[in-house]
Amino acid sequence: MRQRFGLRDRVMLAYGLLALGLSGVLALVTFGVVSNYLTDQRTSSAIVETSDNAATLHYGLYGLTPECMPVRREETECATSVAVPPAKVAKLVERLPSTDSAAMLLGYNGSWYTVSANEGDVPADMVATARSGIEVHRRIEVGGEQVLAVGVAVGKPGEAFFELHPLTRLDSTLRTLKLTLILAAIVTALLGLAVGRLASTVALRPLAELTQVAAAVARGRLDARLQAENDPDLGGLARSFNQTAAALEKRVVADARFAGDISHELRTPLMTMMNSMQLIQNHRAELPGAVREPVELLGDDLDRFRRLVVDLLEISRDDGGDQGTRETVRIADLVRAAADATAGREITDVSPDAAELTMEADKRRLERVIANLVDNAEQHAGGCKGVTVRAGGKGVIVYVDDAGPGIPAADRDRIFERFGRGETSPDSRTDAQRGGIGLGLAIVARHVEWHHGTIQAKERPEGGARFIIELPTQNH
Amino acid sequence: MAHSLLLVDDEPRIRRVLRLALEDEGYEIFEAANGLDALSALRREPPDVVLLDLMLPDRDGFTVCREIRRTSDVPVIMVTARTDSHDVVAGLEAGADDYVTKPLVAKELSARIRALLRRVEPGTPVQEQFVVGDLEIDVPAAEVARDGAVLPLTRTEFKLLVELASLEGRVCSREHLLSKVWGYGYFGDSRIVDVHIRRLRLKIERDPASPKHLVTARGLGYRLVS
Repeated sequence: MRQRFGLRDRVMLAYGLLALGLSGVLALVTFGVVSNYLTDQRTSSAIVETSDNAATLHYGLYGLTPECMPVRREETECATSVAVPPAKVAKLVERLPSTDSAAMLLGYNGSWYTVSANEGDVPADMVATARSGIEVHRRIEVGGEQVLAVGVAVGKPGEAFFELHPLTRLDSTLRTLKLTLILAAIVTALLGLAVGRLASTVALRPLAELTQVAAAVARGRLDARLQAENDPDLGGLARSFNQTAAALEKRVVADARFAGDISHELRTPLMTMMNSMQLIQNHRAELPGAVREPVELLGDDLDRFRRLVVDLLEISRDDGGDQGTRETVRIADLVRAAADATAGREITDVSPDAAELTMEADKRRLERVIANLVDNAEQHAGGCKGVTVRAGGKGVIVYVDDAGPGIPAADRDRIFERFGRGETSPDSRTDAQRGGIGLGLAIVARHVEWHHGTIQAKERPEGGARFIIELPTQNH
Repeated sequence: MAHSLLLVDDEPRIRRVLRLALEDEGYEIFEAANGLDALSALRREPPDVVLLDLMLPDRDGFTVCREIRRTSDVPVIMVTARTDSHDVVAGLEAGADDYVTKPLVAKELSARIRALLRRVEPGTPVQEQFVVGDLEIDVPAAEVARDGAVLPLTRTEFKLLVELASLEGRVCSREHLLSKVWGYGYFGDSRIVDVHIRRLRLKIERDPASPKHLVTARGLGYRLVS
């Protein structure tokens, strides 16, 4: 399964979430503590003010009659007092001081006296509690505004005094605090993300280098090495990687040298055999009938053997880092010359837009590319059905078509490997196909790459296989 | 008339089989196993062509080639291990006319020899005398003279010069020269032409570093102008 996020994203996300979590918890705790403290302060000051005002009222209503204080006495104990006239009660209430312009309600002698408040503002259960002589406070909403209602008893049971202290300022303070804390948490989380990104970038830089170098090695640049060998954390990995790459390079070079040496050594006996065979074939008519066919067989296989040796030399030469020679060539001319000569007939079709295209090419190498493909089509794929040169792609595109069974999709990369003839259904191959592509297509792939081009094997629309070569041109 | 060929190779089996195959092609063969033998054989019995392997036991093929050139304009075909090594250019610079690579077959070699031995074909140049600047080219005599003095061109260099002269100042592509002078098809090695042009300049130009007559047409080829 593919990871939805890369390692870098995950590190970054972890840092961000951690920062968000920490700052979130911190903000919550801060808000809790501060809002509790501020609310407590506000409540206690409201209670104190209300109690003070209630004491003032008590004095105004009853004078210094301590009998009725504290509350919760039997109603009869204060029955001696004379009821104060309503006008005087109203004046008493109006004169009460208030630090925060709180609304006030006094329930006295069966009626309500109010200052900037209405009779029904206080919920009935609070009124009942206060009337029974118990101090009560609660946050309620009056006319769409949050207020702290504080109720206390005044003198006789049944009387109650309420103050409604506005909470607007407290609430707005708390709101500001909340906003500030949320903002701080967000900023911290973003900072966390940024730090995470930075940290992951720094931490993963060697990994990025590893990726690059590994890709380079995979592409065949076997001398690519990691620089991080002295890094305390990554040194081990870098060293193992470099050792592996060095071993691989050594092995490839040794293989190439081995192949080169072998084919080099083979050339002298090959020359002897080839020239002897030519002599024999020159005098074919003088041979007894019984040996003519064996001589023919020998000649064919000798030719095959020669091509293998020449191919091996070609491959080992490339592995040995041969520089080659570049010169300006007209691609259409080159392809036509190589293809027609290999097929022994005119098979090249050049579109008008490609006729004049030129490129810096190693003629010998590019000739091998075309000749090997055409030869391959002729020998092993039912004949070459045409070579087409047209402008497009990197500059110029060359098709080499054959009439064979096509190449299974699974084998389309394999065929460009050394002796890679595809693995599917080996038994279905005919003897001609077994005859061997050998190194031919591997050389083709290498030479195309040498010219900074690409090669693909595809299906031809009319059936058979189509090799598509793209090469960069100068005047494209 | 059978052409004679001096075979210089240190490998006895190669000499033996090439002798057999080339004699069958109609050549008369002399053999030499090392550079010293080759030079004395060349003096004793001048061959029509020398086939010179670059890997010799006593001295390298380049030295032998330069020593041959000191006294003779005989066509030299060198045998190299690889087409792309510096050996090719170095061998051509040393004076070789052409090269072949191992493994070589007598038939291919014979084609190369025939191309080198071919005289300037009668009727190919439109005239028998050319005058290009201060150069006087006499085709039937195969001589080039400057200020009355004959210049020491090899046979191949002379053919190249006549080919260029017959185009009367027009540009001649490397491919054309390769096919006309050396008998190669499209895929002949153009370095052969380039090195021969360099050698020719050394002989016919007063200042080979800034040629007046044999000029390069960049990316196209060469032309010979007055």
